[in-house]
Amino acid sequence: MTMRIAYALLVVILFAGFPTHAAEPLAVITAVTNPLDTLSLDALKLIYLRKSQMDTESNRWIPLNLPVADPLRRGFSLALFSILPEEQDDYWNVQYFNGISPPKVMASEEAILRFVASTTGSIGYVRKQSVDSRVKVLLLITPPTAK
Amino acid sequence: MRIFILVNLWAIALLMGARSAAAATDNTDSTYRLGSGYTVGETGLSIGGYANTELDVPRSTPWNFTLSDLSLFMTWDNGSRLHFFSELEAGDVLNVGNHQSLGAQNAHFEFERFYLDSLVNNNLTVRLGKFLTPIGEWNLIHAAPLVWTTSRPVVTENLFSPHASGLMLHGSVPVVSRQLEYSVFADLTESIDPYRSSNPFQNALGAHLRYFFSDTLQIGASVADYTLSDLQSAQIGSSFTHIALSNLQSSRYYLVGLNLAWSYKKFELSSEFVYRTSDHAAIASTLQGFVQGVVPISQRWFMVGRYEYFEQQLNKAGQVGLLGLAYRPLPPIVWKLEYRRGEHNELLAPDGLSASFSILF
Repeated sequence: MTMRIAYALLVVILFAGFPTHAAEPLAVITAVTNPLDTLSLDALKLIYLRKSQMDTESNRWIPLNLPVADPLRRGFSLALFSILPEEQDDYWNVQYFNGISPPKVMASEEAILRFVASTTGSIGYVRKQSVDSRVKVLLLITPPTAK
Repeated sequence: MRIFILVNLWAIALLMGARSAAAATDNTDSTYRLGSGYTVGETGLSIGGYANTELDVPRSTPWNFTLSDLSLFMTWDNGSRLHFFSELEAGDVLNVGNHQSLGAQNAHFEFERFYLDSLVNNNLTVRLGKFLTPIGEWNLIHAAPLVWTTSRPVVTENLFSPHASGLMLHGSVPVVSRQLEYSVFADLTESIDPYRSSNPFQNALGAHLRYFFSDTLQIGASVADYTLSDLQSAQIGSSFTHIALSNLQSSRYYLVGLNLAWSYKKFELSSEFVYRTSDHAAIASTLQGFVQGVVPISQRWFMVGRYEYFEQQLNKAGQVGLLGLAYRPLPPIVWKLEYRRGEHNELLAPDGLSASFSILF
């Protein structure tokens, strides 16, 4: 009996240390009017570093983020850059010195959906299940479990 | 020392106010955030800047404390193809030293940068105005809160003008699935910048390439062909040198440079070397450079080591070693302390202790 309890405890402890399921996929979205249908992860990375400034229609990209503490933002950052948002501070300090602002921060997924639906060139991310007809999905990414 | 304490108390008060503002919200771009400036509603206008205070205690000359930089950034970007940026700097705002009472007699104002970018396409931007000379990496990010040492490596400012005024084409193109960034510039400072910074170009042509081999390794190369207006500060900074070289002002210089930056976690290794030659037989070819390493000793403390080598016109080649500490309580704030010692370095990088506090606001 004691052995069984010990074994059960061991299993619980071991599984507690690992994710039991993959994180929920994130949908990278843009306005339905955007002629782009897909986007590579590398291209997305350049947009979120503000190094790629224009889409194929010569509209300025407007990348959107969620607040730093939001789990979706943290997962997105890990998937795209393999680092957490706060680990990019040095990069954004240098960009700030050159007059380049980081992506706009929106308060919620709904705020992102509304902004993307109504603003040409904007691009954001929400949970796959939050996507609706107002926007178009360019890419699905599965973030690693947030640190 | 009282002024040092006062300035730092002011900085702490500013920091505390800014921290609470930053902590309160992260969901609009119209709120103030330390290190990101203030965005004025939906106008596209942003205002920010940085400040630096510095204490120098050279081994053989009197100590000096200065509020050395107070810079104001103004950016305008409303989402169109045009982007304006300016940096107005007040230099040496306050000075106090061993043989000098507190005063602002050395204070000066200048536009460090003032340019308009026009985005042609995703790979090309045209810049018109006054900008930082794209030679090496340090000169492009020289602001005190962004670099690890109070003192600037000799190579990053001694052989060329840190500013250029004219036209620059810059952008990036994919090469073997990585980004190659380029800048090509033509300078006409003599004609278009009446308020020239120290050590200005008379005219120049140059280019800088930077290739990202990976997310952690980048290598750059620079070339430039130029004439300097002011050989006094360009060479050594002594009146003797000015007299000796004043008849060489029309000399044309040719420069090549290499720079490298590698980082992993919080470890960093960087290096820049420049070789300059000229068309005048009296001006010797000059090689200068540095290698710098940064090692994290905790989350916020860093140890910095640097070796510099610099050939000079009127002295033997100088060498300097630097050992320093940097404390970063928050990313836009850094305290630094360093000791520098070398040989044949009296004029360009004298032995001594330096400390500074700098903040991006």
